[in-house]
Amino acid sequence: MSLQTVAHSAVKNCEKLGADEAEAYAQRTRTVEVVLERGEMQSERVKIHQGIGVRFIKEKRLGFAFSSDLSKDSVQTACKNAMKLSKTSISNPEWVSLPTKEKLPKAPTGIFDSKVAALSASNVLDLAMRAYDAVKEYDKRAAIDDGKFSALVTEIAISNSHGVETAEKSTLLSGSMACMAKARGQTSSIAWEYDVTRSIKFSPEKIGRSAAEKAVASIGPRRGESFVGKLILDSDSAAMILFYPLVYSVNADNVQRKRSIWTDKMGERVAVSNLNVTDDGLLPKGIGSSSFDAEGVPHQKTPILTKGMLKGFLHNSFTANKEKKKSTGNAVRDNYNTLPSLSVSNLTVEPGKKKLNDIVSGVDRGIIVRRFSGTVRPDSGEFSGVAKQASYIEKGKMKYALKETMISGNAFQALMNIVEIGSESRPTFGRIYVPPILLDKVNVVSK
Amino acid sequence: MMLDVMVKALEKSTADHVEMRHHKRENLTISIKDGKVDALNNGAVEGVCVRALVKGSWGFSSTTSLLEKDIVKALKDATTLAKASKKQKKRLARLAEVKPAEDKYVTPMKRDPRKADKEELVRLVLDTDGVVRDFSKAIVSDNVVLNVVDDDLSFVSSEGARLTQRIVRCFGSVLAVAREKGNVASAYETIGAQSGLEVLDETPLDASGRMAAERADKLVSAPVAPGGLFPVILENRVVGLLAHEAVGHCAEADLVHSGSFLANKMGKRVASPIVTIVDDGRQLGGFGTMKYDDEGVPTQKTVVIEKGVVKSFMHSRETALQFKVRPTGNARAWNFEFDPIIRMRNTYIEAGDQSVEELADGIKEGYFLKGSIGGQADLTGEFMFATQEAVLIKNGELQESLRGVTISGNAFEVLKQVDAVGKDFIMRTGLCGKEQVNYAGIGGPSLRTKVLMGGAPK
Repeated sequence: MSLQTVAHSAVKNCEKLGADEAEAYAQRTRTVEVVLERGEMQSERVKIHQGIGVRFIKEKRLGFAFSSDLSKDSVQTACKNAMKLSKTSISNPEWVSLPTKEKLPKAPTGIFDSKVAALSASNVLDLAMRAYDAVKEYDKRAAIDDGKFSALVTEIAISNSHGVETAEKSTLLSGSMACMAKARGQTSSIAWEYDVTRSIKFSPEKIGRSAAEKAVASIGPRRGESFVGKLILDSDSAAMILFYPLVYSVNADNVQRKRSIWTDKMGERVAVSNLNVTDDGLLPKGIGSSSFDAEGVPHQKTPILTKGMLKGFLHNSFTANKEKKKSTGNAVRDNYNTLPSLSVSNLTVEPGKKKLNDIVSGVDRGIIVRRFSGTVRPDSGEFSGVAKQASYIEKGKMKYALKETMISGNAFQALMNIVEIGSESRPTFGRIYVPPILLDKVNVVSK
Repeated sequence: MMLDVMVKALEKSTADHVEMRHHKRENLTISIKDGKVDALNNGAVEGVCVRALVKGSWGFSSTTSLLEKDIVKALKDATTLAKASKKQKKRLARLAEVKPAEDKYVTPMKRDPRKADKEELVRLVLDTDGVVRDFSKAIVSDNVVLNVVDDDLSFVSSEGARLTQRIVRCFGSVLAVAREKGNVASAYETIGAQSGLEVLDETPLDASGRMAAERADKLVSAPVAPGGLFPVILENRVVGLLAHEAVGHCAEADLVHSGSFLANKMGKRVASPIVTIVDDGRQLGGFGTMKYDDEGVPTQKTVVIEKGVVKSFMHSRETALQFKVRPTGNARAWNFEFDPIIRMRNTYIEAGDQSVEELADGIKEGYFLKGSIGGQADLTGEFMFATQEAVLIKNGELQESLRGVTISGNAFEVLKQVDAVGKDFIMRTGLCGKEQVNYAGIGGPSLRTKVLMGGAPK
């Protein structure tokens, strides 16, 4: 039985059980993964992960149940459980309706690659070994701490009482590697590198080389001084420090519940004037792209910041209905066993003109951070943590690796203190496409 | 009975050694946001996995089907993978001897959640939500969640082990958000144990709600704590993370093997003589308690650091043989989709005898760092933990509260500088990520030491 048929019959089942409206979200994911530990293959797994999640609504009372078994009996049991939970629940006066049927856009290009779908455990192992060899070739002092390479094929089918019937297949190939370098009896801090893509165009060598390069660059760290000044963040650190609070603040649920610091700021300046940020669920080859969101609502392109001005919030059907607006198609689900929540599809930060090397050349005194191990409070924007793989920059040159250096500040102030946006954008696992970013007025603390 | 189906499937094995696990995890989640029921969520995830050893090479396969023929297929797949990947393996696995056990275990509990009145639980969560939102005008939003995770586990091995365990965990969390004059502050508290619903009477959710609301309300207009090296009291809610993240991981034998801080330190002093760190698989109510681990090894209380000296590492059957010691029962898997790896169970620093006032007494200028919201550590013992609140201490007196910052340092340097340990021991719930996540208990008392705080330079 196709996933779509399973989802459809679950909805019909709920309607028979007396639902005012119902929705089923069915998922099947085949994962081939290889885990490396201490540079040795630790395990390889081939997993079929599948299941269905059912929303049952009666008199604005919502019940949700799931099952990892897609047999007719188990799906029926899930529908019954959802009904029972709906009865136990209390009505939510803010509930309006599940999404209604809309015409879907054409599937974004490049989200399914049959070559990725065909990868076997030994193919994925070969990818891991190529990365492993690249580390050894780069520098003898570099060693692998751990790594993980995986190939996923996911099929999603959504069905609801208002005629939403849709299914789509996608692939995802990813690899990550943590390296350390050992020299003169000392071990460097751990450097991390990754890549994530929809297609077979994937270079494990680049992951290995880059992880090794960062680890070797952090050999022989020195203590720096405490100061307030310039900081370059690589893509991953920039996503964490600057854009994780931004994503939180443009989430309409947080806005409506006054948890967002930007609740009353629509149309106002919240960042430097060269910052343009868009959420694009239809981005070609985007790792968060598909024709529809986790409720079957069409994906779209939504401007968030234009020239530093706040232009848009992100909605799912629940938050949109509350304000009698149209959903922006930002319902997301990590898995069939969770309710839809609200997040980005692909958040894209418009790249600037300068390459990372040119940004470094322009810094008189500052530091560059290539891994941030710290905390970011997305609501208040406060961030503080350890700058890993950090180097001190003086007169445009990287001088030495830093140890025991902490950075801190406030993300919302930092958005106003962006000096330069790099040209080399890349996606993070959190579906944020961002280039390196140079900030000013950041606290740097050393022992 | 899944045990019998797996035993039957086991007959078809051609591998040298086989382990099969059946796992059914039932979840109930009640989530209330701002007084409204977000949803009641209930369901089960179930499956079987097979781990097969052929000439020292492991193969692993899992299935969500419970039929004997599909389990036999998983067994064949695991055996084929084990054979195929042997070439790429540099180190072949051999296992320490363990007497195969036949046993049953159920979490000791007074109020079995399977018999619970769900409406009563919804009311309880709504009551806590009311406590939080009524706390003050500044509280604008909250999220109160109650979870019940009910695991049925069975384990069979070609050596003859036949085990079933039912492990029940009840836990909850409260997030309170305060807003005032454009400033936003949030606070977070958790409760929970491996237990029936009686944990909700022993550590009421509304008390955590009040604590979170009070903190968010207090910090909304407070500035951020400064940066620099300071003498501090780490609150009992923060200390468990130090025991787990920074020390515990360094004592996991697989990470010892990859050169963690504790490699080559067996029998050596790595912490102050008043610090003892334990990983206990049998602690009553512990979030990571199991009678047998996922290799069928009986768990035990493992003293990792005794009075500052390294005493034992944590082992699977494979590393125990490699290190020539007895397995400690630390091999755990998140669910049937994963093979077991070395994990902590309940890790804590043992209590001392001082009150928080006595700990503060020794500090001229420093901070009482309270409320944990997570952290990370490297194999070198370098850690970073986020704290929610920093209370200024001047001449031994607790003064105003500031917004907490991230703290960092090397755990073993921090532990060497511990000069006083409190008596306010608590155990808490943790979710640890090490390639796969798992539930773990973390605990300890408040203690006095020095750490680097990451605020603005003074």
